[in-house]
Amino acid sequence: MNKPVSTEKRIIASQHVKLGQQNAKGQTYTDVNDIFYNSEQKPVFFTGSEVIKEAIRRSSVGTSVAYPITPQSEAAALIGELYAEGYLDEYFRGESEFAVMGQCAGAAFGGHRVFTTTAGPGTLRAMENFPMWAGSRLPIQVCVTCRGVNSPLSIQPDTLEMHYLLETGMLVWHAETAQDLFDFILKGFIVAEQPDVHVPIATCCDGFFVTHTKDTVQLPSEDLCLTPYDPYKSPVTVMDMESAPIRMMRDPFVMKSNYISYATHASWQQEVHAAVERSRKHTIALLGGLIDEINADREILIVSSGTAVSQSREAIRLLEQEGIKVGLVKIKTIRPFPTEEIRQVTKNAKHIFVPEFNVAGWLAREIKAIIPDNDRVYVGPHVAGGMTMPSEVIRDEIKQHLGMKVDTLASRG
Amino acid sequence: MSDYKVLAGPEAFLPPSAASMGIVLPDPGEAHIEGTIVPEEGAYEHCAKKILEAKVPTIFPGPLVLWKWNDHVAEKAAAIKELADEAPMRLIPMADYRPKYPKIEYEVEINPNHPNLTIWHNKIDACIFVGVHCHQANLALKIIRGGTNCYTMAMCAQAGHEDACMSFRDASAEKIKKLTEAVKKLKSQGVKSQAIEFTQFKMDRNGLVASAAVIEEYENAR
Amino acid sequence: MSKEKIQLCDEFADIMPPEYQELVENATYGKQDRGWKDIGSSKELIEQHSLCAGCPESIAFRYILASLPAPEDTVFVGSTGCTSLVFPHVAVQNIHSLFGNQNAIASGLKRTLKARFPDVEKDVVVLAGDGATVDIGLDMTMQSWFRQEKFTTICFDNELYANTGGQESGLMQKGFVAKMAPKGKSFDKVRLAEIAREAGCAYVAMLTVSKPNRVEEAIKNAVYVAREIGPTFVQLYTPCILEIGKQSMEGLDEMKDSETIGGRFVQKEFVTEEAQKLIDSIKAETKVRKKAAKEAAKAAKVG
Repeated sequence: MNKPVSTEKRIIASQHVKLGQQNAKGQTYTDVNDIFYNSEQKPVFFTGSEVIKEAIRRSSVGTSVAYPITPQSEAAALIGELYAEGYLDEYFRGESEFAVMGQCAGAAFGGHRVFTTTAGPGTLRAMENFPMWAGSRLPIQVCVTCRGVNSPLSIQPDTLEMHYLLETGMLVWHAETAQDLFDFILKGFIVAEQPDVHVPIATCCDGFFVTHTKDTVQLPSEDLCLTPYDPYKSPVTVMDMESAPIRMMRDPFVMKSNYISYATHASWQQEVHAAVERSRKHTIALLGGLIDEINADREILIVSSGTAVSQSREAIRLLEQEGIKVGLVKIKTIRPFPTEEIRQVTKNAKHIFVPEFNVAGWLAREIKAIIPDNDRVYVGPHVAGGMTMPSEVIRDEIKQHLGMKVDTLASRG
Repeated sequence: MSDYKVLAGPEAFLPPSAASMGIVLPDPGEAHIEGTIVPEEGAYEHCAKKILEAKVPTIFPGPLVLWKWNDHVAEKAAAIKELADEAPMRLIPMADYRPKYPKIEYEVEINPNHPNLTIWHNKIDACIFVGVHCHQANLALKIIRGGTNCYTMAMCAQAGHEDACMSFRDASAEKIKKLTEAVKKLKSQGVKSQAIEFTQFKMDRNGLVASAAVIEEYENAR
Repeated sequence: MSKEKIQLCDEFADIMPPEYQELVENATYGKQDRGWKDIGSSKELIEQHSLCAGCPESIAFRYILASLPAPEDTVFVGSTGCTSLVFPHVAVQNIHSLFGNQNAIASGLKRTLKARFPDVEKDVVVLAGDGATVDIGLDMTMQSWFRQEKFTTICFDNELYANTGGQESGLMQKGFVAKMAPKGKSFDKVRLAEIAREAGCAYVAMLTVSKPNRVEEAIKNAVYVAREIGPTFVQLYTPCILEIGKQSMEGLDEMKDSETIGGRFVQKEFVTEEAQKLIDSIKAETKVRKKAAKEAAKAAKVG
């Protein structure tokens, strides 16, 4: 980078003309920095689904489109309740995830801030839409409540589906807890909508573990809400026939445009990648970094994301009791991948464990691709299809790998 | 820290985006010159110098300043015209972003799908983008850097362009006027414009409005 | 955008391409009774296209653009096909997304434009081929009608997938031989107009583009009804002369043949009572207004 990005800085404050004004629900449009750092936070004990509702209540969303699929149906329906109370301009149930994502795209093309949710088979049903959103520079937010992908069918938590999102051109953030999910949803809108970014964002959380369990979450007052999305602070023309140029197609086949047309197309793809890169600066400022680290200078490290991090925290405590010192790195953003941060933070590590809730080990692969001496990476432990990952399993696989004797834990199923 | 510098090309068959090479955009109050973040104040003189040094300095106004789609645009358009008259710089519009068939009229327009045709034909060695949507500007800037030796500069109303050789951000009529002042200042210090003498083309509903001088100029160029 | 806003900045008006200067001076944005008769004397909203010489889609497109009640406040949603090659050059903002999802896009778009501009009539018009409408997009097309989404769907029916080389589509006739139907299509042409009626469209018209005044009437009716009442559907026979082995000049005859008595494209309309009332009242209003204007013009001449 030409300029190191400080984590002390706050993201550039909103210049929206409505800042400080009240909306029809009596909420005050507030800069995101003030919502999180300059206002009173009160604890609530809610399920993740309820937390998604509270996030959207404060997000000045224009349109949300819903479709039932476990485990996001509750959240999607709760957003409907918000619509009935007047917090959103538009909300309806679509007919399939593929249709829903198109309906969301239409709303975004028209200049609304858009939010939707999906999971597992729904994510795959919708898949063609995600690179379309990215290539069209639509800053739609989709909350993905990760669950298993057929066949066979599993409604239970599994993060395999996140791997399919990695080359869509979307930002991909992975929440560990319901607190993360709340923070990521609001902050995700702000980062995704930056004019130099302006790409869709997938805020992922592990289904059931986050959506259906209750947790203590600190929330800002419901009288505060994000400043609205400004469709004229966009790198592309909004489709409302109110701004130039009116001879504008979003988006034409540049492949037909002339002798360097394929290079134009390639440049377009590169621009989407560049947009994701540009999000780093804003994300670091708002999330306090793309990773969190605890004792990362230790020789044994666990690097993970999502609820695998929660299980790892407990495993580290168990190992500490036996005198085995392990550090923890929590990856918050998968796209953009925190390449430099991971290289730095794994410098001293001799053993890097990557527990994941999927059989592919895609996170380990991402890490191995960018660090030197990647034999240091132990791919696992893995569970999938809804299995829990007991902290004892993490503890014992680490001990086993280090050459210590452990009793085999029977499968917890 | 990235060693990459955003210099005039021709850089590559398909150059990387500057962002993917680690170049970060400036914050409010800053600009970037060839990938290095500088205080904005210092960037005006650099830009003015590049304009005056160039043989064919050109402004590419885009749809956001070509069309009177809101009240603020008229101010910006006036400021741009003033800069063009002062330096002097040629004006070639980017009227829209559509892929034109079979080719664009590269003497009199630029298009983000093949901007290098315009650069090559007119032998443009320094240019300013203003009023172009950021997405299309980035496409054009990178294609120009890949295939030409033109020094690109962006007067951007949003966050700036790291694919340009230099870029301002949060552009306004005032900033454009400041740039004109910087040009005037350099001239008062004895810096002369190196621009080849030109007559700005004019168009009406029938096409190019050609004075004898313009016709001769274009015929010589062909 | 009101017609007054479609203006060039004074400083740059004289460096803009001639066709843009013409657009500003001579296009019929904001003209109350614009229609197909403006073609030839006014600036059209398509700048250029690369469709085959004599392609009926191209003439249909021009009639449609000439007939829209308010192009200055219309947004199109297209789908992948031959029209995608025309849309970049149309001076009405338009969206191309994925093949078949045009009615989903239009649903989200229309609702958003209504929310953002409650006091301005923003017309959303879908323009897609038969493959996009009746095959890959059928569920989204029908579901937008079930939901009563207030926009117009226009289907350019050339009875096959033309842009990809002439494959069988749902709207192809039974027995017709085409790519992917080497032994001839095994099932009937889908009765899309009837499906549109049953799915909830308030106004449905099916016709060829052999008569521009009929196309104009169908388009205007469809847009006016969609503004107030519910979804509307217009199916236009725009034969692909290339794929049916005709010459450039033979498209018109092909359309005329298909709409003769007993032909599959004899014009038909399905109109709900409510829609018919609206159409009649608009017709009456227009008549009164035109008469008054004529008399005022006469008086001015005399005076």
